[in-house]
Amino acid sequence: MKRAIPVLVLSVAGLVPVWRYEPSGGTSSSTEAAAPAAAPDSSSASSGGSGKAVAGSTVHTDKGDVQVEVTFEGDRIASVRMLRQPDHPQTAAAVPTLIAETLQAQSADVDTVSGATITSDGYRESLQAALDAKGA
Amino acid sequence: MRRVEHVMGFPVSLRIDDPYVPDGVADALFGWLREVDERFSPFRAGSEVSRLDRGELSADEVSPDLAEVLGLCEEYRVATRGAFDVRLPGRGLDPCAVVKGWSVQRAARLLRDAGLGRFCLNAGGDVVTAGGPWRVGVRHPELADRLCTVLEVTDGAVATSARYERGDHIVDGRTGLPATGLLSMTVVAPTLTEADAVATAAFAMGEEGVEWAAARAGCEVYAVDARRRVLRTPGLPVAATPQDAGDGSAAGRSGSSPRAAGRNAVTNPV
Repeated sequence: MKRAIPVLVLSVAGLVPVWRYEPSGGTSSSTEAAAPAAAPDSSSASSGGSGKAVAGSTVHTDKGDVQVEVTFEGDRIASVRMLRQPDHPQTAAAVPTLIAETLQAQSADVDTVSGATITSDGYRESLQAALDAKGA
Repeated sequence: MRRVEHVMGFPVSLRIDDPYVPDGVADALFGWLREVDERFSPFRAGSEVSRLDRGELSADEVSPDLAEVLGLCEEYRVATRGAFDVRLPGRGLDPCAVVKGWSVQRAARLLRDAGLGRFCLNAGGDVVTAGGPWRVGVRHPELADRLCTVLEVTDGAVATSARYERGDHIVDGRTGLPATGLLSMTVVAPTLTEADAVATAAFAMGEEGVEWAAARAGCEVYAVDARRRVLRTPGLPVAATPQDAGDGSAAGRSGSSPRAAGRNAVTNPV
């Protein structure tokens, strides 16, 4: 039974390129494409507990290197973990960190004031009007 | 030099601190903004926008400027999945939210092209700066004579969207209802085109707009939600030394100091 797991993993890994293979009329064969994914010695595999974790090969993308580790339980994918992901602004910004603060009310010396679009009527009483008058 | 004029329905304050200001540069700037009002106001029956909306202009008669504006509108509509929409059902075409930032950013370019490098242009609460540092106060959403934070901006733009001046004028295009999730939304960005559109779009989205805006490259965000909670990005350029003359305590204000940062909760809000 223990030996069945790597066999299954290899079978699943070997199937992936076949699924992804699109007949193009070219001479490239799916066997060639299967080679990197199916070779277990090019990726590290560790068995722990019930599942078996297999690290995929590193894929170079224009955002940086990506490598995933897939944990199999039997022939089922139990989890996928990112081993390496691009340290790219787009990735970092995907989950922005926000700081929560208490709303303050202050007066301070400023050059200008940003606020919601004020009407020309509202301007008379605005802080910006005071700043404009002061500097004129 | 300083000059204030009322154009496009709001006051525009220009301050130029360069030692030499070429003749006519301020006239050219305000002339451009008046031209924008004539051409792009949906409230003027003869404007390009009104004529396009009535079907009097064909696609190839649209000016390159209007095409650029409509392209930006579409970009933000897609980016907000429809929350920001200049073509709401039952209403006429209203690209004002994009026209304002875009036209004032171009006005700033007129100043740069004239060789100016130290100015602050405030168009109805939306700000473009060059050659700072400029201290830009953000109006408190509930107290008209107070600020809620002070930013320090050298070359960039600050825009704020809120309901406190003109009521429920920003509509969530997904629901057709006025946006009420936020009290105010301030965005700092490299250009006012981006800052103004992102602030308006995020305001239309409500609470989820805070995270959306924070994820935009180059944007820093300061938002006040309906529960009066401030949410801001860590990179927001908060002025380092607030000159306290009001009732706000110094605590929690100088957000850039490690002491303050340690006390503030870091969250990934809803």
